[in-house]
Amino acid sequence: MRRAVPATFALALVAGACVAPAATAEGRQIEALYTAFLVIAALVALVVFGLATFAIVRYRFVPRAAGIEPRQVHGNNLVEVIWTAVPLLIVGGLFAGSLAVLARTEARSAEPVVEIQVEAFRWGWTFSYPDEGVQVSGFGNPGPEIVVPIDRPVRLSLTSADVAHSWFVPRFLFKRDAIPGRTNTFEITVEEPGTYRGQCAEFCGIGHSQMPFGVRAVSEDEYRAWLEQASGDQG
Amino acid sequence: MSASAGLGAPLLVWLTTTDHKRIGILYGVAAFGFFLLGGLLALVMRLELSAPGLQVVDVQTYDQSFTMHGTIMMLLFGTPMVAAFANYFVPLQVGAADMVFPRLNALSFWLFLSGGLIVLSGYLVQGGPADVGWTGYAPLSELPYSTTTGTDLWIVGLALTGVASILGAINFVATIYTRRAPGLSMFRLPMFCWTILVTSLLILFAFPAVTTALALLLLDRRFGATFFVAAEGGDPILWQHLFWFFGHPEVYILALPFFGILSEVIPVFSRKPLFGYRLMVLATILIGVLSMGVWAHHMFTTGAISLPFFTLSSFLIAVPTGIKIFNWLATMIGGRLTFPTPMLFATGFIYLFTIGGITGVIVASAPLDFHFQDTYFVVAHLHNVLVGGSLMGIFAGLYFWFPKITGRALGERLGKAHFWLWTVGFIVTFLPQYQLGAEGMPRRYADYPAELGWTTLNGVSTIGSGLLGLGVLAFLVNVALTLRRPPDQPADPWGGNALEWWTSSPPPAHNFESLPPIRSNRPVYDARRAAEGGGRSGTAGPP
Repeated sequence: MRRAVPATFALALVAGACVAPAATAEGRQIEALYTAFLVIAALVALVVFGLATFAIVRYRFVPRAAGIEPRQVHGNNLVEVIWTAVPLLIVGGLFAGSLAVLARTEARSAEPVVEIQVEAFRWGWTFSYPDEGVQVSGFGNPGPEIVVPIDRPVRLSLTSADVAHSWFVPRFLFKRDAIPGRTNTFEITVEEPGTYRGQCAEFCGIGHSQMPFGVRAVSEDEYRAWLEQASGDQG
Repeated sequence: MSASAGLGAPLLVWLTTTDHKRIGILYGVAAFGFFLLGGLLALVMRLELSAPGLQVVDVQTYDQSFTMHGTIMMLLFGTPMVAAFANYFVPLQVGAADMVFPRLNALSFWLFLSGGLIVLSGYLVQGGPADVGWTGYAPLSELPYSTTTGTDLWIVGLALTGVASILGAINFVATIYTRRAPGLSMFRLPMFCWTILVTSLLILFAFPAVTTALALLLLDRRFGATFFVAAEGGDPILWQHLFWFFGHPEVYILALPFFGILSEVIPVFSRKPLFGYRLMVLATILIGVLSMGVWAHHMFTTGAISLPFFTLSSFLIAVPTGIKIFNWLATMIGGRLTFPTPMLFATGFIYLFTIGGITGVIVASAPLDFHFQDTYFVVAHLHNVLVGGSLMGIFAGLYFWFPKITGRALGERLGKAHFWLWTVGFIVTFLPQYQLGAEGMPRRYADYPAELGWTTLNGVSTIGSGLLGLGVLAFLVNVALTLRRPPDQPADPWGGNALEWWTSSPPPAHNFESLPPIRSNRPVYDARRAAEGGGRSGTAGPP
């Protein structure tokens, strides 16, 4: 039974926190990085749980050891250097991986992209396509839905009209805060057509859990058609 | 403890005491009272989240519940619990009669208690207590968005507890530097004292930042200032920087002392010295230093900070933390392990805290945090560290030192029930929350839609929180039953190492009749060995 405990822990850690498959190019990199972290996490957990369980099983007091004092070991420089250096190498590797993914999520494309301005407010969202003269705004359930073309970088500029909010689409594995007085710009490239639910992730008062939005990713043609219709509706 | 005719005399003794042991008990009892309240609020929230829809409380009450739960657990329970242990055991472990500044010590406690009650008095005003989250992010905490007077009481009360912590920290640093018994050099200092020293230094750097931030926020709310109002030239990000410049060291203020307790408990029940004492000291100092440079990893999604710097600094802190875990394991390996309740909690800490440490490395990576920030993954991680870590350490310390404080040992049977309820309760409550967070469930949601598939895991988590509640109940029953028995504990019931085990249980008002020679970081072990005739040196007799 004691052996089962660490195994359960490790399993829970690996199997117990799976993210949904990412729908964006940037999200896929985050997903791959997360998988790598989970593998290393499971290995580290196995080493620690293994050593702890070994100590408990092997060195548990038994009556025939009564009166015998264990050897009074105060330390060992070699092993102490090892368990300082090895974790240092591991976090060095994790840092390199994180930097590589950051380079992608923070990149801004030079070519023309779809630009959307986002303003969060208590408790809803306003999305504007300044070049196309289209605006989508709404609050409550299901909230406003924007349409973006797949396989093209979409640049979002994010701000807030009142308190801090956060623009979070779980299937993109990505969020960024909407903060009054600041504009945060980021890009997403949706690779998989579909409708993705977004929500606010920064506590903003009693409507915090009631400000979802949608992102519908479609082909370039459908996107054009939608724009035409939307600008016609508003014109 | 003098038996007195009326109730007035003992009450006066407790109200006017400057004895570090009594102040320690006051801190502990007050903090634990706050803990019970914070725990009840947690149970209310778990009940609300057990199913979609609003069943138990309305949204405003839910928001106030998580605000007060976080505030209470971090600042009215966790931090003063550190002060409780430190007050009682630092003077004993350094062989002193009291703290350097006994009256300042009493002032610290009464400031803390007043501040805590002021925070809670929000429940008495119209509009109720603060509703801004324990992080109090501006501009949500500005008057237009948080109109209740409860938020002002929250600000003023927390500022007072902050001053209390700062005064207490000065006292601990001064006591450890100047009141050590002859022979007790810094490198013979018990690890618990080392962790209190580093924790106190962290408090001295971190708490002024949050006290300042609270003062600025009060000026904004009530005196027309605009420090955090973007439209008036202020900056909401400034609040986040000031808050987390305190808030992240605070996490280590709530971790290091319990690492210290583990470093006391594990050697005693392994019958071995702490493995790699000097490296442990170095790791403690490194954690302290690094913890001052990681605050903005709470701000990865703000777009306002250097992502690589705070990713790297946050990763690095895993190294000294890992050193501690491996040194505890190496202390156990080759030992002669017994598992009374304090050792059970210490061992459980190693397992559970390791998970929390590992998931901490995951959220320390900025790109991964883009997904996990402000989801239940973070909620699971922070409770993993605080419930699976700090609280396991607190309980290890309480079971370990209860005989010293009261002269009575807590019951083993209820203690073991407490341990298993707590461990299983922790796993059932918080491991599902990692999955909920990975699926994108944000924190601080009073409600969630049924169609997102979060219902089952939330239900499981709520059941687990009930087990945690039962665990605390077992502890309270244990304490009540134990205190009804007459004191019967010897000076050194466990076979301890540090000086607190040299004096009687409980110690006399002046702490020590005599001190053993101090030639290592285990003077009481040395004296015991000498008395048995097996020691290499030492001539001390029993006290």
